[in-house]
Amino acid sequence: MIEKLRYFFRLAGNNLWQFRTRNAFSVTIICLSFLTVGLFVSFSNNIRFTVKRISDNMLIVFFLDEAAGESEIESLACEIAANPFIENVRRVSPAEARESFKANFPELQDLVESLKGNPFPASIEARIAPRAAGSTQVTLFIEKIKNRAPVTDIQYNQDWVERLKALSRVANALGFFFGGILVLTSFFTVSNVIKLNVFARKNEIEILRLVGATDLFIRIPFWLEGIALGLAGGTISLVLLFFIIQIFPVYVGSSLGAVRELLTFQVLDTSQCLWIIAGGAATGLVGSATSVSKFLKV
Amino acid sequence: MIELFHIWKQYRKPFWALADVSLEIKKGDFWFVTGPSGSGKTTLLKIIFRELLPTEGQILIDGVNVLKIHDSRIYRLRRMMGIVFQDFRLMFHRSVFDNVAVPLQVAGAGRKDIRRRVFSCLQKVSLHHKMWELPSSLSYGEQQRVAIARAIINNPEIILADEPTGNLDPELAFEIISLFKDINKQGTTVIIGSHDRELIRHFGDKIIFLQKGRIIGKETRS
Repeated sequence: MIEKLRYFFRLAGNNLWQFRTRNAFSVTIICLSFLTVGLFVSFSNNIRFTVKRISDNMLIVFFLDEAAGESEIESLACEIAANPFIENVRRVSPAEARESFKANFPELQDLVESLKGNPFPASIEARIAPRAAGSTQVTLFIEKIKNRAPVTDIQYNQDWVERLKALSRVANALGFFFGGILVLTSFFTVSNVIKLNVFARKNEIEILRLVGATDLFIRIPFWLEGIALGLAGGTISLVLLFFIIQIFPVYVGSSLGAVRELLTFQVLDTSQCLWIIAGGAATGLVGSATSVSKFLKV
Repeated sequence: MIELFHIWKQYRKPFWALADVSLEIKKGDFWFVTGPSGSGKTTLLKIIFRELLPTEGQILIDGVNVLKIHDSRIYRLRRMMGIVFQDFRLMFHRSVFDNVAVPLQVAGAGRKDIRRRVFSCLQKVSLHHKMWELPSSLSYGEQQRVAIARAIINNPEIILADEPTGNLDPELAFEIISLFKDINKQGTTVIIGSHDRELIRHFGDKIIFLQKGRIIGKETRS
């Protein structure tokens, strides 16, 4: 058995080397296909990462009427804090709101300084527990508080989260659509390359048949060739993806301004990397197997 | 024992490559199948090792109906045969060793066993000193001996050789047939397709004469 395996690997290796130009072409196509999939998955990862970060820090800001009394505000704060979905509550005075705005938008500091009086209302910031972010109970709670005095307005960034989640899904879908087309292309490329290899070894296959080789014995080296091409393509695509992820923020990221954080690529996790490598191997194997079964009449 | 019952083979109408061929070849026999070009020698041999299926008729080898063997089991039949072709059918990008070792690799023999048997087999055909050379660097006679070594390495029960001396000068041809005779002495059934009258006259104990696909005569010399 070990001897046979050695023979299969040696033969597959010889063929990979003997027809290296066309095999390199095949690896390039597989690599480009999985690079495309990887880029979209990486982009989608980044959006999901951003969504998670926002969800983990999800705030509901209850803006208060200027005329609200201290006891009224305190009572509201207690009521909000009593809700099981709220992690903590912080009261923000108009002065704190103004300072916070100046800190967050330093370029608008002059504008704020030039204003007479303080236009920023007092507010209550309620941090939602991560497990409750986006739940309907939170929405119902907001609806309930909305019409209660002294609340004048409510800011809740759940809509943004939903939009980002949708964008992440679109990125994934686009990735699998374009990647799928390219993977299909690479499948046909591998299939044709293996077909050429089968034709090139027609004489040898004929000899193997005549000396009593089984169908499987003849096919296995071609399958191994396909798997090797796929593995190489998948692995190289990950290496390229890694470099793109490293280089992208340096060359392009700085020109993106505020959306930079959203448009960067997030490194793929281990399981995604393994899926890409396995996908490459599977593409190679299926491409090779269909070609061999179609063109190798044993 | 090889038994052929009323074998007919037609490639295209209305010509018959083989017409009503019946034969009985006993274990350990040495047969020549002879006849002019196009008489059906190659077709007959190809039908015996089931590269071709007859249009009609049956073939039994050791009591097994060859035509009823499933495609996926043909390898078992082929492993009990050694086949030598006029055009050698060698793998020219692989060494003499690799060419001769193929039947053993296919059968799953161990590495040491393969080395030992290939060397011993190449010794029999006096090519052990060229074990690592490529077939393209060998003469026609040497290439034919590589093909013979490949055919005998598995100790087959039957050897089928189609015009094994077709490209060789008379001296080499005699040498090759002598080699087959030696193998036959060890109990292997040998069937050689040849139109070389001189060889047949010298070596032929049992001869089948074919013409236009029909057996027109059989000769057995004691």
